Amino acid sequence: MRARRLFAVVLSFAVAVAVFSATRGDERAAAGPPSVGGLASDDLRPSADTDARIAALQRDVRAGRTAAAPALADAYLQKVRETGDASFYTRADTLLREALARNRFDADALVEAATLAAARHDFRGALALAQRARAAQPGTLAPLPILVDSLVELGRYGAAERALQRLVDLKPNLTAYARISYIRELYGDLPGAIDAIERAVSAGGPVPENVAYVQSLLGGLELARGRLGAARHAYDAALAAMPSYAPAAAGRARLAAAEGDLPDAIARWRRVVDRLPLPEYVIGLGETELAAGRRAAGLRDLELVRAQQKLLAGAGVNTDVELAIFEADHGSRARGVRLAHAAWSNAPSIRSADALGWALTRAGRPEAGLRWAHRALRLGTLDPSMRYHAGIAALAAGRTDEGRSQLRLAIAHGLAAQPLHLARAREALR
Amino acid sequence: MRRTRVLGVAIMAALAAAALVVSMVFGSSHREAPRIMLDPSADNTDVYAFTAKDAPGSLTVVANWVPLEEPAGGPYFGKLDPRARYYVKIDNTGDGREDVAYRWKFRNKFRNPNSFLYAAPTVTSVNDPDINFVQTYDLYREEYNRKGERKSSKLIADNVPVAPDNVGPKTIPNYEPVWLGGIAPVKGGGKTFVGPSDDPFFVDLGAVFDGINIDKPGRPNIGLGNQGGGKDDVSSYNTHSFVLQVPESQVTRDGKSVKDMKSSNAVVGVWATTERQRIKVRRHHGEHHVKRHWVQVSRLGNPLINEVVIPIGKKDKFNRTSPADDLQNFGTFALNPEPARLLNALFNLGVKETNRTDIVQALLTGVPGLTQIGSNPAPADTLKLNLGVAPSATENRFGVLANDLAGFPNGRRLADDVTDIELRVIGGALLPANQGGKQLPLGDGVDRNDKPFRATFPYVATPTDGISGIVKRTEPAHAPVPQPPTP
Repeated sequence: MRARRLFAVVLSFAVAVAVFSATRGDERAAAGPPSVGGLASDDLRPSADTDARIAALQRDVRAGRTAAAPALADAYLQKVRETGDASFYTRADTLLREALARNRFDADALVEAATLAAARHDFRGALALAQRARAAQPGTLAPLPILVDSLVELGRYGAAERALQRLVDLKPNLTAYARISYIRELYGDLPGAIDAIERAVSAGGPVPENVAYVQSLLGGLELARGRLGAARHAYDAALAAMPSYAPAAAGRARLAAAEGDLPDAIARWRRVVDRLPLPEYVIGLGETELAAGRRAAGLRDLELVRAQQKLLAGAGVNTDVELAIFEADHGSRARGVRLAHAAWSNAPSIRSADALGWALTRAGRPEAGLRWAHRALRLGTLDPSMRYHAGIAALAAGRTDEGRSQLRLAIAHGLAAQPLHLARAREALR
Repeated sequence: MRRTRVLGVAIMAALAAAALVVSMVFGSSHREAPRIMLDPSADNTDVYAFTAKDAPGSLTVVANWVPLEEPAGGPYFGKLDPRARYYVKIDNTGDGREDVAYRWKFRNKFRNPNSFLYAAPTVTSVNDPDINFVQTYDLYREEYNRKGERKSSKLIADNVPVAPDNVGPKTIPNYEPVWLGGIAPVKGGGKTFVGPSDDPFFVDLGAVFDGINIDKPGRPNIGLGNQGGGKDDVSSYNTHSFVLQVPESQVTRDGKSVKDMKSSNAVVGVWATTERQRIKVRRHHGEHHVKRHWVQVSRLGNPLINEVVIPIGKKDKFNRTSPADDLQNFGTFALNPEPARLLNALFNLGVKETNRTDIVQALLTGVPGLTQIGSNPAPADTLKLNLGVAPSATENRFGVLANDLAGFPNGRRLADDVTDIELRVIGGALLPANQGGKQLPLGDGVDRNDKPFRATFPYVATPTDGISGIVKRTEPAHAPVPQPPTP
């Protein structure tokens, strides 16, 4: 019954993709002659919700106001964030390609295209587009955030830090503070990460999604520090700002698991997945079910991950890293290794190194796995999954002391939110 | 200042609903953080400076932050950032640097930290314990030397409550007195108010920014707008107003009251800024801050300067620089304003496009004998007010263009129609006919705010409560307004 409902959701996405493929080109047909520019290069009108905004901007674009195209693409990206329906990426893609064909120096379109590329995990593409945007409009800071994101995901942490320092030196705001928090977290500085995200929270202003976003990040950091009360407060603050905010609802599910209340965690995960069946959430649900001994339900739900990934791939989203870890944990280990190699060559980040290490470890090559795990931990990251992966690899490679200390680090930094892996770590420590 | 791009306001609302954030969608650890640089809690939207009819001998400043607050969006916890510095600055020597500054510092408090309720029925006063989330502030008066270094900082009001949001008639049945409870006296004379208000700005954004589309279909041949019919895109949106009224002697260069408009201490330049702290991306040995760690992220003096003068690629720079450096940074854009070219391209008006010293004078150096500070002022984007000009008995929305010397660009009153005034000035209203002067009846068709302003402090109108607001009110059509007399 539950699985059927999930399949129905997945199916509706597939239909959306199909319908879209049939109707794509709307924008192309609608694009008229370029309008004479006003004082601004794009126009967004206030609208209560994303659908209304999309409709208004579509009218603009159809009426020949092509300057509105980047804003419409932006609204499509927002639609994906709200619904998980990645088919809107394809629509945004079409719009932006046309905008850049009209004017390859359109800075707004370049920044938007960079954002789209990053959302699809094409970080090299995103970096190139962000650099083009900078060149097209020297002095403007708008391309810097996405430039920083791309550099981080390409494993170029020094360059990312320098670009981000420039951003925060010139314009300290929520955008910069949130990224500083992330870099500090990657380097294992959790108190510093919390300090930065609290600045972002303070700067949040009257935009609910901003507040929900930074409060959810704060919740995750507090969870990693083992301060469950503070984590709950942050997640609840996010949900007070935006009751439907999935990352915060997922945070509450993880928190319930960390508190040992697996039935509550499962119920919360299911509510998240029913609304937004992203692979990350489906895995959270399935693994928590497995940890609670609900094996059949867990395996059935995890089956959905591959279907979801196919849909995402169809919309141009590269999910190699996530899928590699999923395959290593729950599917074909050989496939996991293949995907992880692809992920590493696509984006040589510590995230990709972790995926490759874990895939190799699970495929019975723990020495190689441990070497990659060490690359993944080279910044000092305290991420519980990465520490757990390193610990299991070290134990399997016969390095007992390191293995035990990595697992203890994982448990000290929030592995409890992933009860299936917590149980395995505890068993390995015994 | 962020009426940028699409006059910022429109974009802000659309983006407020949306694009400030790219959340973590398709990767558990790949973090797609907020991308767009919009920053509403630090955003200056408008500055007004005038001598109020009920407060002669005092400077009154209204500085607004946080654009386009949706009244129906419900209350929000902390629209103003406790970790930011909010300033109103005053230059009384004409060098474009602050000589006196007022700084607001905010604090947040939840009376019940376990509740996210903003307030519970029934709130009857500004200090009512039923208000769960409280924002308060301290107000400082600072003095600066000629080099721009701070000489002194004095606390002149402490622990003043920000007026609560107008959440609705059930929670706050009688809002106005609760709102007025936000007024507090300041040491040295005068008063302060911070709270939500109806955004006093009025403009037809669509018309102005759709290629200055002021001769709309249905209004043909009307001399380019100017007979009403415009759509006020800001109507029913709220903002946060900082209203300050202090004796002239607190802000003049000699610390004395102003005798008349010819007095050497009569003119002051006013602008507002916001600062945030920059920090090191990575902390080393717990060290956190960098030298000179306060960074200006927003500023505003004259209305619409970011739209009229500053090109898109320079807006970030404008926001972080000082008025004292405006000539070297932006002088060329003021001399050769883009809207003049646009007006010509769109309507073939023959407006003078280059060497517009009249615009530099009106906005940056001041009009001699009226808003010029001293004999050799630096061209600086500050809102210049001659405190010696008495308030007009009947205000004309065209201000100085209509010989109403108490209005924009001599300071700015809440009701001054700065969009029409600036369009006409760009059209050549201040130039002699033999130097390209033209009296073009330009306008956006919106003449006034949707809500009347108050005759008494804090002068702005109470914020819309979200139930009764009419977003995008249409101005009634009226007979074409005759050209206001030129000065």
